[in-house]
Amino acid sequence: MSSSAGASLPHRTVSSIRAGDRSSSQALPNAPHTPPRTIVPSAFGSPSTLRADDDVVVIEVGSRKLRIGFAGDSAPKRIASFGPEQQRRAGDFRAWEADYQSDWRKRASGKPWGADYELWQLDVRGQDLALIGDKLERELRDAFTKYLLTDSRPRRLALVLPPTLPIPLISSVFDTAFNRFLSPSILLLSSPVMTAMAAGTRSGLVIDIGWYETTVTAVYEFREVQSWRTVRAGKLLVEETYEFLAHAIQGRPSTARTERTEDKLEDKAVSFEECEEFATRMLWCKRDAKEVPQDTTEGLPTLHEQDESETVAPAEDRSPIAVTLNSCNPPKTVEIPFAELAEPCEAVFFEPHLSPCCFDDHELPVPLLAYRALLQLPLDVRAICMSRIIFTGGCSNIIGLRGRIFDEVSLLVKERGWDPIRGKGVDQYKNNPKLRRNGSRKSGEGPTPVAVRAENPSTEGGETAPPVNPAHAPPEYSKVEEDVQKFRNHKPIVQGTLRVIDSLGPWSGASMATQLKMPALATVERELWLQQGVAGACRPSEVDVKAQQRQSMGAGGLIRGQASQASSNWTLGVWGVV
Amino acid sequence: MASFAPYTYIQCPCHESASQGRPLDETPSPTSQDIPDDDDHTFDPRAPRSNYSLYPLEYLLYCDVCTQIRCPRCVAEELVTVYCPNCLFEVGSSSLKTEGNRCTRSCFQCPICIGPLAVQSLESAPDPSLLSAESPTTPVPAGPWILTCSYCNWNSSEIGVKFDKPQGIFSQLSKLRHGEDHHHQQHAKHSTSSGDLSPKKSDAAAPESHKARFNAMKAFYNAQNNALSATTAGSLSGMGAGDYGFNSPGALSRIMNLYSGGNNNNTSGGNSSTLRPKAKASAMREADSANEGFRVADLDEEAAVTKLRREGWDATATGEQAQAQVEEGARFTSDLWPIPYLLRAKRSKRCPVCRHIISKPESKVGNTRWRIRLVANNSIPSISIKPLTAGLSFSASTATIPTPTGGGGPGGGGYILKPLQPAQFLLTFKNPMFEELKVTLATPATTPGRFASKVTVLCPEFHIDANTDTDMYLEDVLKDGEKGGNAGRRRQGDEGTTHQAEAGKIWERGRNWVSIVVEVVPASLRIEEPPALLRKEGDPEPDLSPLREDEDILEIPMFVRLEWEGDVSQDQVGTTAGKEKDTKEKKELAYWCAIGIGRISQE
Repeated sequence: MSSSAGASLPHRTVSSIRAGDRSSSQALPNAPHTPPRTIVPSAFGSPSTLRADDDVVVIEVGSRKLRIGFAGDSAPKRIASFGPEQQRRAGDFRAWEADYQSDWRKRASGKPWGADYELWQLDVRGQDLALIGDKLERELRDAFTKYLLTDSRPRRLALVLPPTLPIPLISSVFDTAFNRFLSPSILLLSSPVMTAMAAGTRSGLVIDIGWYETTVTAVYEFREVQSWRTVRAGKLLVEETYEFLAHAIQGRPSTARTERTEDKLEDKAVSFEECEEFATRMLWCKRDAKEVPQDTTEGLPTLHEQDESETVAPAEDRSPIAVTLNSCNPPKTVEIPFAELAEPCEAVFFEPHLSPCCFDDHELPVPLLAYRALLQLPLDVRAICMSRIIFTGGCSNIIGLRGRIFDEVSLLVKERGWDPIRGKGVDQYKNNPKLRRNGSRKSGEGPTPVAVRAENPSTEGGETAPPVNPAHAPPEYSKVEEDVQKFRNHKPIVQGTLRVIDSLGPWSGASMATQLKMPALATVERELWLQQGVAGACRPSEVDVKAQQRQSMGAGGLIRGQASQASSNWTLGVWGVV
Repeated sequence: MASFAPYTYIQCPCHESASQGRPLDETPSPTSQDIPDDDDHTFDPRAPRSNYSLYPLEYLLYCDVCTQIRCPRCVAEELVTVYCPNCLFEVGSSSLKTEGNRCTRSCFQCPICIGPLAVQSLESAPDPSLLSAESPTTPVPAGPWILTCSYCNWNSSEIGVKFDKPQGIFSQLSKLRHGEDHHHQQHAKHSTSSGDLSPKKSDAAAPESHKARFNAMKAFYNAQNNALSATTAGSLSGMGAGDYGFNSPGALSRIMNLYSGGNNNNTSGGNSSTLRPKAKASAMREADSANEGFRVADLDEEAAVTKLRREGWDATATGEQAQAQVEEGARFTSDLWPIPYLLRAKRSKRCPVCRHIISKPESKVGNTRWRIRLVANNSIPSISIKPLTAGLSFSASTATIPTPTGGGGPGGGGYILKPLQPAQFLLTFKNPMFEELKVTLATPATTPGRFASKVTVLCPEFHIDANTDTDMYLEDVLKDGEKGGNAGRRRQGDEGTTHQAEAGKIWERGRNWVSIVVEVVPASLRIEEPPALLRKEGDPEPDLSPLREDEDILEIPMFVRLEWEGDVSQDQVGTTAGKEKDTKEKKELAYWCAIGIGRISQE
């Protein structure tokens, strides 16, 4: 993961960079202008590939949805989601039969809950990769013919992939693209980086609340620094919603979250579609900071300024909301108090009644994960990232969820500061005046708090008298410097404060990046893939950057390029190697 | 209650080519390893992958030159005409690129029910009779116009959209939506954000909509790009357009600055003169104002909560409605906009191998005919299935049979097969070609899947006579039909129930068709653990999950191989020179098909 952050950037293959500065009419790297490539003969062989890159198709692949469109467009032309109807044979029209809808139990039997609605599982054990390819192909073909209205000339594709996607899944996507759609090359783009780009920034903490998992990725200068994950995401939410609805149907008050077993889902009280529909339409998230989720072993209870705006708290609103459920047997209209509609979110993303030590590493609540992510970052990266928090992903559309997560994160920051060391011992140590040597020493304990000192006085509170340490001294005021900055139209970088910014989403970012010919994280050529497959990918560090740069240097590069042809390495960028 | 109709699906041979040579094979792939992907394994129509390669005969095309089936997955397509399905207006391919894939005239779909919307005058819309009573002399309605749906009575004034003139609705609407679009987004998005510590920049002229922000941001990046490439002319072979400050020593020096420059402002540019070009180091800045597309997220969604609370379930858009929208993110029904019609394309299809056109429509929009269309129906035999009732011990095929599935299954009537009771079926192969056809069939002895039914094809090899031209040989046909009919009747009459299907003999033969008998012994659908005695060590765990969808249908995978003497294809260069009229060439075609025979009853 963090290898991408290293100083060597070989995975940005030079071919795409070269494509950048050429005029768009001939920008394809394997046009005849590029002698050192092995692909050249085939490019001559089929003239259609020469025109192929007039528009690159940008595809964002997720577990549930597929966004497809041309580079340069502001929004994808087609947002496809997967479902059981998509997996039928051609010419199977049973979905139009009269009693089809009421019959979902039979269809859903024998498969894991909601499996039909996913393109893939992140757990690739036992998955049929070719089936994933088929699903993807059908959806892509559908999008190409119905929505993009393209002919079947091979096109270059830009793939936006989530961080740490398993390589078998990537390979399956590649197989489909290269074998079925004959794309000459695929550009790989990283989803969090593109999200940051679509927010207008070069760095950021991207919180992607997706289907299988919520990933928190720190992006610094267009590079993924590190990525953290938790399973608290859409899938868990829909399962929670199922339980919530099942309770509502039976008329029982929804009690505290019980132990969920697969058998409960097997009861099939409500169908997956309806659960999801309900989750997207009705759920909302409480946003009062009264319920501080984490037990606070240290630090005093803090006052939160968020509280005062509430007039009629929606959380206390018990007025019933009527929802008609059709998939239960018999169809029923349930009335759920409005306040209770916030409970699934609460249970899935925050779980406030449990102390943080209860959670395994893979199921940390989202705010805690985000806080820990920030905590683990190097200090200057943290300073930049914390003021560029970006929410994305399907579940971030839940009303109030982003705000709630942000509140909780800022609360955590307020309570704990940036000190990674916590616990009773530390508290005693801190509170023991004998052990305290001086005030400024305290801030030097953790490696981190230095970052926060000047920019974020709120986190440190008023405890430390700041300017003893010369490192903490504010920079001297310089008139000349300021004039120079003014001349350059320079504005100081916002850093050190917590701030959420709004992104246009990874697809739009990728669309922008591809149109601007920004070098992709990795470029995979068709010929090389067909020859070598996924096993041919090398570690980013193994690629000889110098050789490739030499190749790109114009006329002289021809001979040397030929010589180094054998080592035409390619990588999968941050997604690693087999 | 829909009845089960026997069906035939054909697997396009292109399925094989793609699945072979998967590069993951050598690595320990997580796919199921027990099914090797070679020619030996029989095709399993139950496998989830098969759904993607099976097509009804009517969906398939056929390339004459390659003598190969072409399915929708293995043709190369070209656009012939792009048009709006609503107004049938033809759209040029260039405007397709600039204006998108939707009709830019006045064709809209209802966002609620996707019915077509009509433009109406707002005055006359509510009650035309009343209006006409007041002013009977004004035939031309004036004033603001709205889009109305005649199916669900939705109209665009519900979302506050009215038009000044009845033409060019698309541009008016996009102006409303992206230009002065404030009545929708302002109340939701312009409120004070509580959590923000930073000053919020909200220009009045700030781009609000997604599209406008995208364009603003793109312009910003472009400007940054140009500024950079202007200052760094010549650096790294002028790849400024692609370089964003990384992938170059500049990035390194910038980082060095960050750490070394104590008093320096963090943003480089200060003491970088000693290092490499300072222009390089003055990296592209970030967008920071609203007209660069930058926006601090508004986390206060109080308005949405209130709306949800007040209006409840019915005010929210259904998933389908939200998905039908052009832009993502509609939550409430008041966020739903009329949907401009998607354009549609007429396409010609080519064989991907020999590039011959196998399907080409008339280019005129209104004309639904085809210039060229080589359907597989004309080249490969069709298979029809019916039960062989005579003398058999099972009761077949009447709607009176009660459905054993308890009112659940999507197929009630039709052929209900009793488990473990042999049943015979007639498969009739009809030859559409003008050549005599030799057919070889192969089926696995038992159907794949959890419930293995036994299948026996009594006559796996036979000839079908050519399909003679009906006009020329009408007499023959008539005679033939008579003869065939007689023969059939005679058989029925003479032998009656004693006529048995014999192995190796065809059942019946007509002018261009042949019927053969297939005997099946349906498996029992009971899901139970196999007796412990029969289980061996190391057997995989038996799959005891409940019956899946369609698992009760007896589906026979059948490998069909056709051989015939055809004309030499004109495409081959060597043969064209010395081509004679009656040169014949042996041709063959082989494919898998899945034959759905009937539903096995569960008891």
